[in-house]
This record gives sequence, C-alpha cells and structure tokens, in this order.
Amino acid sequence: MRIEWWLLLSVWVVATGILFFIPKNKIRLAVVAFLFQQIITFLIGLVVVEFGLLEYPVRLFPTVNRTSFTFEYYAFPVICAAFNVWYPNHRSNLIQVGYYVGFSSVLTIAEVIIEKYTSLINYIHWDWYTSLITIGVALYIAREFCVWFFTKGEV
Amino acid sequence: MLMERLILVAMWLFGFVGLFLFIPRKDRRKGFLAFLMFQAVIWLCDIPAFKYDLLRAPVRELPKATDLPLTIDYFFYPVLFAIYYVHRRSKGNLWSRITYFFVWVSVISLFDIVIERYTDLLEYEFLKWYGMWMYIVFLFYVSQVCCNWFFKDKALFQAERWEMNEN
Repeated sequence: MRIEWWLLLSVWVVATGILFFIPKNKIRLAVVAFLFQQIITFLIGLVVVEFGLLEYPVRLFPTVNRTSFTFEYYAFPVICAAFNVWYPNHRSNLIQVGYYVGFSSVLTIAEVIIEKYTSLINYIHWDWYTSLITIGVALYIAREFCVWFFTKGEV
Repeated sequence: MLMERLILVAMWLFGFVGLFLFIPRKDRRKGFLAFLMFQAVIWLCDIPAFKYDLLRAPVRELPKATDLPLTIDYFFYPVLFAIYYVHRRSKGNLWSRITYFFVWVSVISLFDIVIERYTDLLEYEFLKWYGMWMYIVFLFYVSQVCCNWFFKDKALFQAERWEMNEN
C-alpha cells in the first residue's frame, strides 16, 4: 500500500482515538463543534478546489468528490471538537491567542509536510500562510458559534 | 439550463425565507442543530449513492469539485428537515406523529421526483421513485434519532437550562 493510503488510514484512526478522550459531559459541545465545522469546510473546501487553488490527487471517493473527504468531513471537524472541548476559557487572553496559534500552526506544519512529501495534497495557487489564516479563522468562527449555542440563553 | 439555475436560486431564496418564517426564535438552536445533523447525514449517504450511480446530478453548482448537488445537500433539504424537526410534537399520540413524519417525507420525495422528471438537476439511475422515498425516510429517521439523542437530557443542554432558570 502506498504511503498516502497509510497516512489516510492513520488520520482516521488518530481522529477516532481523539474522540474517545472527549469527556462525557462535553459530548454535546463536541457534536456542535464537529457539525458546525463541517459546514465551513465543505463549502470552502469545494470552492477552493473548484477554482483550482488546491488539488488532492490521492483521496477517498475520487470519482464523485475532488476534495479531501478525510480532512473535511472527519479530521478537521474532530480537531475543532477537541479545540472547543479543551478551550482555555477562563485563562488570560495571551493563553487563548496562543491556543489558536498553536492549533493553527501544528495543522499548517503537518499540511506543509504532507504537501511536500506526498501526493495527498498539492498547492497550486496556495501558500502555507493561506492555510494558517483559513484554519485560524475557521476555528474562530466555530468557537463563536459554540459560545452562542451554549451560553447565551436569551432568545 | 436556465430553468435549473432558476430553481437553484429559488431553493436558496425559499430556504432562507422558510428559516425565518417557520423557525420560531425560541427554537433557533433546535433548528440549527437539526440543520447541521441532517447535513452531515445526507452528505455521508449521498457520497456512496452517487459513487455507485444510484443517481446523478447533471446540472450542479460546482461541477469540477464535486458530483453532488450542493444546494440540495448543503442547504435546501437540511432547511426542510430543520422546519420539520422544530414543529414536530414529541408528545402527541403515536399515529399523529407517524402521519406527520410520512406526510413530510412523502411531500419531499414527490418534490424530488418532480425535479428528477422535469429538470436536469437530478437523474435517477438505479434508483426508482419508491427507492427515493425509502431513502428519504431513512435520512429523516436517522437524523431525527440523532437529534432526539442530543436533546434527550435537558440538564446537559445548557441553553435549555438557562431558559428554565429564566422562567
């Protein structure tokens, strides 16, 4: 099996593994974060492929879907769920910003390495900082949605 | 081609109007969750359905990126499900609940069949009209079970708890 398929398999395994660490009283938060992140990644993911900014040569369901099903449907939403579940809500702003930067950077670095050494993803009109910014913004929007969904009780 | 485009625009338009008109403000979270849940389910089920040629979407929004119909999967049917879910009575008698479910599912299937028949937005390949009906029954049922699970334990759902404290 090619390295790409091993990577995809391990992404599915690791993401599923993360799910098991989510505390029971935060399952609903995780579900909302997961589902909401999907609507961002679906749309943006499809649009960037449609305009030829990125391509995913090796992917699941290659004939019907030219985006990365693994990343957009599962891996990134799971990371977003984890992001929200362990969000340092009552800590200083510096730590909160650091939390965003940390998540975005780790994901971007992983993506750049994958881009460089495998054909899971190819940047066409895309740069590492585009990933960094879009990942950060996507995490932020999802976080705001979760805060609205759970804490603001008034209508 | 023009008619298909107009129908897609109409779906977005009526979808937004429907969200505003038929989802009461106090049920916005419920509606949102139903929307998100249905979308995740239909996307997951449609990918294999399109892969194995059960149906096709010849005219679609992002033809290069995906073979799936974006408006229907991403927006219009999730909106319909959200409206359905917000207005269903969880406590009425069994028959009225069953009727409510099947009326919704049948009307949406009928809509789907008409779209298939008279436009190029959808083409059924191996799927027959009753297959689409069963498919929509399945999608609605699975999404409903998931949403019911989510709202099952009200103590865990903070927004609900908030509202209860308010009253």
